[in-house]
Amino acid sequence: MATAVSNPSTTMSGNPSTPCNIGPRIAIRGNITGEEDLIIEGRVEGSIALSGHLAVAQAAVIEADLEVDSVDVHGQLDGDIVAVTTITLHEGSRVVGNLRAPRIVITDGAQFKGTVEMDVPLPASVTRQQRR
Amino acid sequence: MATTVIGSSIVIDGEISGEEHLVVHGTVKGRINVRDSLVVENGGLVEATVETSSITVNGTVNGDISASERAELRPNSTVVGDIRAPRILIADGASFKGTVDMGG
Repeated sequence: MATAVSNPSTTMSGNPSTPCNIGPRIAIRGNITGEEDLIIEGRVEGSIALSGHLAVAQAAVIEADLEVDSVDVHGQLDGDIVAVTTITLHEGSRVVGNLRAPRIVITDGAQFKGTVEMDVPLPASVTRQQRR
Repeated sequence: MATTVIGSSIVIDGEISGEEHLVVHGTVKGRINVRDSLVVENGGLVEATVETSSITVNGTVNGDISASERAELRPNSTVVGDIRAPRILIADGASFKGTVDMGG
């Protein structure tokens, strides 16, 4: 079995350009908070508060409320999403919950059930300040 | 083999279970149960009961560790808790407080 040392990601401790990801065979029950971009391919139950970009992969199953900067959903999500910039539901995604964001994109092929609330759009200068 | 990386600014409060390699740069509180290896990197903080096949600690662990293959505490690691593993390596410089059980 390959040891952790040979895995390149362990030598880049906290390198910000390496997105963190939760692999397809991991299940997390609880709260996730953070300030980096995150890719979820596994199961998460609980809540997620991230000031960064969240990518929900096709195989992911999330039963959680999200509070993120922006999110791209390709998988299954049961919960409310509040985003600072954009919520994108891609083809193949299945979302049940309420969406709140200034920009919401629902692509052809996405399944969605819930309410949509687009905040009063912030002036472009304010939105740019909030993005890192 | 897929690896799950928990970045340095991520805090997870709850249970993590799975069958992949897990690398923790951030903070995990609760329980960790992964069938493959677990690496706690320098700067990582795990306040949890850990059950894994092999664990390598460069950071801090507060909690009991149960490894089915081996447990390795590298220099600069800090572990407070009981360790149960058939093979244990505690490097010079590691801080450890707890009991060790290598019983078969």
